[in-house]
Amino acid sequence: MTISRAKIPQPSRREILALALAAGAAPAAFAQTSGAPVRVGGTLSLTGPLAATGAIHKIVGEIFIQQANKAGGMLGRPIEWVLLDDQSKPDLARTLYERLITVDKTDLIIGPYATANILSAMSVAQRYNKILVHSTFGIPKLAAYERHFPGWPLGPNPEVTVNAMAIDGILSAGKPVKTVTIVTSKFPSVNFLAAGAREEFKKRGIAEAAFIEFEFGARDFGPIAARVREANADLLYMGAIGLEANQLLEAMEKINYTPKNHLYLYPAPGPLSLSPLGKDALSLTIYEDLPPFNANPQAAEMAKLYREAGAKAGMPFVDPETQAGAGYASWQILTGAVNATKSLDDEALTAHLKKNGADTIVGKVRFDGPGNYGDDLMRLKQVQDGKWAVVWPKAVQTPGKTIVIK
Amino acid sequence: MSATLLGQSVLSGIFSGCLYALLGLGLTLSWRYLKIINLAHFAFIFLAAYLTYQLAGPGGRPPWLVLLIVVPLFFALGVAQQALLDHFKVDEFASIIVTFGMTILAEVFIQWIWSADFVRLETQFLRGSFEVGAFFLPKQEMLMAGASLALCAATAGFLRFTWTGKALRASLDNPPIAASYGVPGQRLALMTAGAAGALAGVGGAFMALLFTLAPSQIYTWFGVVLATVMLGGLGSAMGVFAAGLLIGVCEAVTMALTAPAWAPVVPFTLLIVILVLWPERV
Amino acid sequence: MGAPRKNYAAPAGIGAAALGFAALPMFGAWPFAESFLYLLFFWIALATSWTVLSGYSGYVSFGHGAFYGVGVYATANLGAHVPVWLCLLAGGLLAACLGAAAGLVVFRVKRLRGELFALLTLALAIVLGTVILNTPIDGGPGISLMAVHLPRIYNNASSTVYLLGMLAAMASLAAAWAVQNSRLGRGLFAIADDEDAAEILGVPTLRFKIAALALSAFLAGAAGSVHALFVSYVTVGETFSITVPLFVLLMSVLGGARRWYGPAIGAVFVAGLTNLLVGGDWALAARALIGFTLIVATLYLPEGVAGLIEHKFRAREKPEPRRAPMPASANDNAPAPAPISGAPLLRIEDIRLAFRGVRALDGVTLDIREGEILGLVGPNGSGKSTLINVISGFYRPDAGSLVFAGEDASGDEGHRRARRGIARTFQIPRPFRRLTVLENVVVAGEFGARGLDHAAALACARELLEFVGLAERADALPAAINLHQRKFLELARALASGARLIMLDEVLAGLTPSEITTAIAMVRKIRATGAAILFVEHNMRAVLALADRLIVLNQGKIIAQGGPRAVISDPAVISAYLGDDDAQP
Repeated sequence: MTISRAKIPQPSRREILALALAAGAAPAAFAQTSGAPVRVGGTLSLTGPLAATGAIHKIVGEIFIQQANKAGGMLGRPIEWVLLDDQSKPDLARTLYERLITVDKTDLIIGPYATANILSAMSVAQRYNKILVHSTFGIPKLAAYERHFPGWPLGPNPEVTVNAMAIDGILSAGKPVKTVTIVTSKFPSVNFLAAGAREEFKKRGIAEAAFIEFEFGARDFGPIAARVREANADLLYMGAIGLEANQLLEAMEKINYTPKNHLYLYPAPGPLSLSPLGKDALSLTIYEDLPPFNANPQAAEMAKLYREAGAKAGMPFVDPETQAGAGYASWQILTGAVNATKSLDDEALTAHLKKNGADTIVGKVRFDGPGNYGDDLMRLKQVQDGKWAVVWPKAVQTPGKTIVIK
Repeated sequence: MSATLLGQSVLSGIFSGCLYALLGLGLTLSWRYLKIINLAHFAFIFLAAYLTYQLAGPGGRPPWLVLLIVVPLFFALGVAQQALLDHFKVDEFASIIVTFGMTILAEVFIQWIWSADFVRLETQFLRGSFEVGAFFLPKQEMLMAGASLALCAATAGFLRFTWTGKALRASLDNPPIAASYGVPGQRLALMTAGAAGALAGVGGAFMALLFTLAPSQIYTWFGVVLATVMLGGLGSAMGVFAAGLLIGVCEAVTMALTAPAWAPVVPFTLLIVILVLWPERV
Repeated sequence: MGAPRKNYAAPAGIGAAALGFAALPMFGAWPFAESFLYLLFFWIALATSWTVLSGYSGYVSFGHGAFYGVGVYATANLGAHVPVWLCLLAGGLLAACLGAAAGLVVFRVKRLRGELFALLTLALAIVLGTVILNTPIDGGPGISLMAVHLPRIYNNASSTVYLLGMLAAMASLAAAWAVQNSRLGRGLFAIADDEDAAEILGVPTLRFKIAALALSAFLAGAAGSVHALFVSYVTVGETFSITVPLFVLLMSVLGGARRWYGPAIGAVFVAGLTNLLVGGDWALAARALIGFTLIVATLYLPEGVAGLIEHKFRAREKPEPRRAPMPASANDNAPAPAPISGAPLLRIEDIRLAFRGVRALDGVTLDIREGEILGLVGPNGSGKSTLINVISGFYRPDAGSLVFAGEDASGDEGHRRARRGIARTFQIPRPFRRLTVLENVVVAGEFGARGLDHAAALACARELLEFVGLAERADALPAAINLHQRKFLELARALASGARLIMLDEVLAGLTPSEITTAIAMVRKIRATGAAILFVEHNMRAVLALADRLIVLNQGKIIAQGGPRAVISDPAVISAYLGDDDAQP
């Protein structure tokens, strides 16, 4: 699953800095660590179609290791990340995890991101009984390995719980939302959520004005926009990967149509918040650089470092959010378990995590439910005044912000 | 299903078709006249698009000025590419690999400079739509469609009526004989490659105007544009335009009438039927 | 091209490699090595499957992703229900059926241009991908193969996948080798160079192309079936991505698409490179290196790695010492002419053919008798070449019948006519340009009326090259010989086929007077072998010297026939020729 970002209209210093970062990513100061490093192996999609998100995970991983090594690393030893590029290919990811485990003999492994690549890594981990903590895995029911631990807390049935949460949030405004148009990409991780949404809307008596599926990678959104306009429902629910949300919005603008209320999962957050068309757009998140998420100093520092590194890498949108949060959380889960059990043993780590869960930047993550999924920590966010604000549930609402529904 | 929806979808398909044709025009020229299947054409388009984004975006230079920079630059790039391919006498088969290698290099270059992340040119240039009856005609798309038609027609006219165009076609049929009549084959080839490059530049400028860019997007256009070029008949400028329209409109109407996810099936099934029943028409 | 003698070193090598690789897990190879080798095997299988069709026959498939995708989804859907080996078989067979069906539709298209085939296969992959995406075959969410039960060889499921991949690769290599060294392969190489000429020489082009496509699809489908097990979660986007057929093409061409082992070299090179350059800190540089290597390798190896190897190999191989040339057998050595029996060998009746309303042939009826030389003359555009094209089966007449050697052959396609014993030469020679002079003649011997086996066809071809005086140039490519040698090559091909009727289409045109004299002697020699000859010529001196009978064609109709002398003094003939500059009565 790729959640990606957009541009801000700003010139940048690019070349040399980008190169410096790519070449360097120097291991940070080993202030309070000593001894041979604990080697953690993993792949990310640094080139190919998923590279935009891969870059985010690389940055947060490096930031985490830099911070953690200052605070004792793992078992007092520095953490060393053996990072390989899976080129956005699941088959290569599988081979590389074999290599990390059997040739490089890393002490631990950490997951790639995106559903297909994580599944590849998981099959290898399973063969060697290695614990696998991973970040953005979109379809919980496909994960059938007892030692996998998701850093993206979707709950075991996101197609029910995530949609229910979102609809509750929308209805909490007390406005009459009677009809919905569901538009969804046939991309696996959003397609099954949209299918679940149909049921949830039905349960709440919200009529489906239209259900439109399109092929992932569609170029022409004109006809879809025309159909959305014709259906003219109270809510537009779109299963969108990356830019598809903006593409549909732009196509609707061209036929002078603005949806009354609109919800997107999982759009590229940058373009949506920066575009004037994204006004009042709703989306999902597990982490934003907003209170209460960034309350602790570690999170605040992470956000600061993330912005710096992102700017250095020439990334056009540098606010950390879901992908960054999930990536960071997965490192926290792994490191926390190692330090709590004082062990690198896969069995001990597994038992600890299953029993205790983990405290992370995205909140308390539990693994005690089916398929090692616990609470669903997805929240609803909305573009307000050109910026994202978390609007539901109430407990995590950005101070001073409430959901806007027409 | 209303007539408005259908009409608006057809319009949308026409605009897509014009874009396919615009992107395919340079490709069809080099394929037919230079025997080069130039996959790097897509890379040129995206390089031009990113350059347009860079020049027109932050500084706010007007797009026409950007075009004045981009078009000559990509003409030169096309010439340089052809000089290299010609020097090594690269044949049709091998040209696929060489130009694919170039595409990878361009992708790396773009990712290095602009990151793998999405970028979007925000411009107020020609925003909004004309309203005609119940239909909306977006201004940027209108300009693109106009440019596409004009360039296809101009290319067709050029090939058909000018001495250079006739010489080009003659040198294709029989290079030695054409050369003996004083047709400067090599210079013509360089000119053609330059023109194809310049067309990529124009296509790229519109790509930046209409789409959000990411390096890996280079590959998403391969299938439909190659299909347009082959359906249009290699080297036929108006053919590529007609083929683009056919594919674009078929896709759009399918999207309006059935599930949009089925969109590729109709034009490509139609394509297969046309090719099998009337191969000589293509 | 294949060495003239059958050489079983290659299949033995493939077998030995298969055994070696199969034994590898026994020695406790790293699972990473298995996994890495598996990826190489997968690409070898796919690239080699591509070359069986596209490399050999020249029809470039852009849609190999479709056949591979059929295999992937066969396993994805059947894997949980049937044994794995059955999945592989099903994947291969389903892909082969799709390939054969596509071939039946596509190859029936007359004059299918290469790029149209490429487009059709591309369209096939797109349509198939969309159908799978929108039907329960996938439906959108992808399919997980975690539930597939794999037999455990070496007590390890991943070794099983490795072994299956290895088998797919070795089977593809063996198949590619076998095809290259078989009738099918030699036919495909002829098709690649000149499909019409191949058909006329007796190559069943339609059948061969469909067979190659089906075999190629089978191998790709089987490779896909295995690969589904390896990735264990399949999605339409990943499976039907255009980069799959593109990489297959890159590997094959880079390695050398006309050699059975070429694609494997390309696959090892490209897949090896992409799978080894994976360092996280220099991912972009690695990708740039891959792009750069593709460019440089192609620029400096135009015929692929295999081409380079073969050149080196050929250069080292000394040309065999030639046997003393046979005495230039002149007329005295020629056997006595077979008597003209008078029995009709070919009878065509009331042949009519119009092109867009223009009557090219308008009720032509004629006989050609055993052993005779029948001259066919007429002004330009009178229908002579059209008639040859109709008799050879290249054009299908609108009406009329054709009886050859007492059997109705009206419905036969070109290659069936060739098998019956009808051969022709082309006015502008059409040799297979990438086959040597010798191989050109072998094709005719193997596929023509005699239907010789390969060894006999070789022996026959060598003899005939002596006969037409081209023995010295046997290993040259057609581009290296001059026009009259190419015309003699045409004659040699016609003779090698063992045809009973040979149609000579202006063999003398473009030759110098002395060459003409040699050529006329040659025609006499051919006739002496007992074949009937239909002699189409503008050169009246030659016609009068050679023809037993003469037929004059004008505007698609026979206007005179009979003894040569009588015919050319016929007033109708003279009037038809009036003003025609080409005529040299």
